[in-house]
Amino acid sequence: DGSETGLGIDEEVKIAKARKPVAKLDETRLLTPAGIPKLRRIAKTRVKFRGKGHEFSDVARLLNTYQLWLDDLYPRAKFADGLAIIEKLGHSKRMQMMRKQWIDEGKPRENTEQEADE
Amino acid sequence: DWVIFSKDNTVDPHVRAKIYAKVSEVGGPAIELDGRYKPGPECEGALKDLNDWLGAYDEKRNVLDAKRCMAEANLVKGDLLELLAQWPEEETEKNRIPLRCLTLLVRLTHTLDFEDAVMKVNHHRHLPYIQLSQVGYKRAILHHDTAHILRTVVRICLPAIAQPRHVRNDRMEHYIIWVLHFLTNVLTISRPPNLPSDGGDDSDIARSAVIEAFHQQDIFAFLLTLTSGMGEDYTIQDTAVLEALFHLIKGIDPEKLFMEEKILTSANTDELKGLIQKEKAMLAGYARHAPSRHNRFGTMIWVKRDDERVSTVTGQDVLGNAQKSLQKMDKTKKWNKPKHRGKNKEDVKRKNDFDIKTPITESARKHLRSLVEDFLDSSFNPLFTQLRRSIERNHERVLSEHPLQYFYLVSWFLQAERARRKRSKTQSAESFGLIASVLNQEFFILLNRSMQRYVDEKSWKHLSACMKCFTQILLTVQEMSASSLEEDLDISENIQNRIFYEETNHDRVIQILKSYKDQGFDYLDTCTELAHVFLRMLEQYSKQNIDLQVRSRRRTRRKKKEAAQSEGGSDAEEINGDPDQDMVVAQIVTTERKFDFARFCARFMTQPCINTFVALARLYNDLNADQLKRAHRFFYRVAFKMELGVTLYRVDIIQLFNRMIKGPDPLDKDLPSFKEWEDLVKQIFKRLVKKVQERPELMVEMLFSKIPATMFYLEHGYDRAVSTR
Repeated sequence: DGSETGLGIDEEVKIAKARKPVAKLDETRLLTPAGIPKLRRIAKTRVKFRGKGHEFSDVARLLNTYQLWLDDLYPRAKFADGLAIIEKLGHSKRMQMMRKQWIDEGKPRENTEQEADE
Repeated sequence: DWVIFSKDNTVDPHVRAKIYAKVSEVGGPAIELDGRYKPGPECEGALKDLNDWLGAYDEKRNVLDAKRCMAEANLVKGDLLELLAQWPEEETEKNRIPLRCLTLLVRLTHTLDFEDAVMKVNHHRHLPYIQLSQVGYKRAILHHDTAHILRTVVRICLPAIAQPRHVRNDRMEHYIIWVLHFLTNVLTISRPPNLPSDGGDDSDIARSAVIEAFHQQDIFAFLLTLTSGMGEDYTIQDTAVLEALFHLIKGIDPEKLFMEEKILTSANTDELKGLIQKEKAMLAGYARHAPSRHNRFGTMIWVKRDDERVSTVTGQDVLGNAQKSLQKMDKTKKWNKPKHRGKNKEDVKRKNDFDIKTPITESARKHLRSLVEDFLDSSFNPLFTQLRRSIERNHERVLSEHPLQYFYLVSWFLQAERARRKRSKTQSAESFGLIASVLNQEFFILLNRSMQRYVDEKSWKHLSACMKCFTQILLTVQEMSASSLEEDLDISENIQNRIFYEETNHDRVIQILKSYKDQGFDYLDTCTELAHVFLRMLEQYSKQNIDLQVRSRRRTRRKKKEAAQSEGGSDAEEINGDPDQDMVVAQIVTTERKFDFARFCARFMTQPCINTFVALARLYNDLNADQLKRAHRFFYRVAFKMELGVTLYRVDIIQLFNRMIKGPDPLDKDLPSFKEWEDLVKQIFKRLVKKVQERPELMVEMLFSKIPATMFYLEHGYDRAVSTR
């Protein structure tokens, strides 16, 4: 009954030190500027290929680009682990909407639309 | 004394004292016989009492106390085997002692395989001791000094076998089963992998040793007598024979069994050469990148990143190799993605019985081969027909593992039969009549029903056995279609019609392939093989039969129909309807339509199926030539025949392909399939590079599995023209 009448001043306040939350690789992180938007920028500006006869070196360079990008985005995970996490995220409704949108942005605009805009 | 104290602790001292007393009552070495064994005056009664101890004490209380005491008292080696050894060949009067010995032996050698959930403290306490002593039993049974124990045991049931079936009574029928159980137990005992060995060589209890003993003591003849008379002279022994045969042949390669000695030796030499070559390549791979100076040489390099940043990597192995330094950056990360811990996990850990390859010696191989040949000639049809009937009727004696053993055995013998045919190719063509019992409609119904059931129940081990069986049947049918006999051609055509006519069969293969997830390597290997063989045969078949029809079943939606009816303004009576009519409406509607291989193939090329084959390809360094070829053909089909390369453009898959060719630890360059793979990967990469240049949005999509809606655009660069209805 003492606890009811008192204001709780006498009770010792216990401080449980909260664990520092571990950074997660989730949709939010993937959609920050360092995530997919950066990858799209890279794709447009920095990916260069040498073409015929250099298939393996071209792909190796491409893979390196992904690895460095992922290392910047989420340094904690190894490359393969990070890829697995991202692939799984891609199944969500929201990500699928976004992916569709990104692709549509890249599509050549259809004639009818252009005419309507003009 | 510490030892005695601990002994008292394991089993109740009174129990121990009583059992020891009984064991000494059985008999012992006698001075008047120069130390030879002499049965006690109450021998038979003592054996009966010991049997009762196992039943009324151990089994009733679910403990292992009596078994433990009998193991300590050396009952098997000291008494039972001696009694059996003394049993004279020509005996006139009736003797119950050998039979009592047999029942005790069967109980004591029975495999103790408990599930973790039902293990009690008592089991944990006694199991290691008993398992080790069982190894001793096996050794003593196989290598007895003076007598042929196995042969003696078979003699117990000879009076029963000598009688025609209608004269035999129940007890006599069971004598035969007891003997079969004994043989199975002898086959199944092996040194538990988690227990210490006594330092000796285990070759005297290996499969080869058992096969040798079986051959010498005419056990094979006994087995053949039973199997060839199965269904007529013997019926209730079918599952017992099945178990014995299963444990006899599991893990043995039927192809190798039928190889000529010289070819086998050269095959084995090739295998060894291949392994040495593999090891050399592996070591060379390390040596190429090994540090050339001592390990405290202290090298550190910068990897330049964008925005003027750098990462540091240490170690001289990364010098002068950008690729290496990136790999090392990745390798030194400490965090690992937590692994999925599902209920399948345990199955992966536990290997299937037939998953473990068992090598046998040259002479054992010869003996087993002659058994297998005799079996194929005389017993295949009677045994497997009888077993099919028992399984269909779900007899009490059919346990849950019996269907698994049945399908495994069928697949094994089919493979053996094909190997035998291959060997005797030069001789005159034989009919496939010897194996007709698994090529009839009844067998297909059982196989299909079982497969569907195990898919639904998620019993992966059983499903794996069914798949092996189905694959072997397909391969056998394929071989039949190349036969020179008119009759065989007809039958093969007929079977293919039946298999490919039902659309449910097609759907099931796809469903199985899709459902792979953590079931272990055996399942992965089996399901990809089935898919490979099925697809190839179907392709060939649909080319020959251009107007192939399939029967598909669709459930009509009753509700939909009702809604349509009520909209049409029908009266209430009709909506409520009488149940009979509803049944008719809701019934499964069967339709026939033309089969389109391309469309069917496209259903194979979906992401889950591709993931399964990627999982197979990930193990590339452990795969054999066939498995590598299987994966190669599949990816080739995906990328070039079906033009669905876009499904392969995923970073982890591309990385895998790159790794297979360019390393680290690439495919061995001397493998014959290396060139094929290199070409395939090169072509895929070429297209990928082109696609990424054309459509930069692919860079993002490469992270994910593709959405069906956007797949067509990514592949072709324009949307599919969809006709509006």
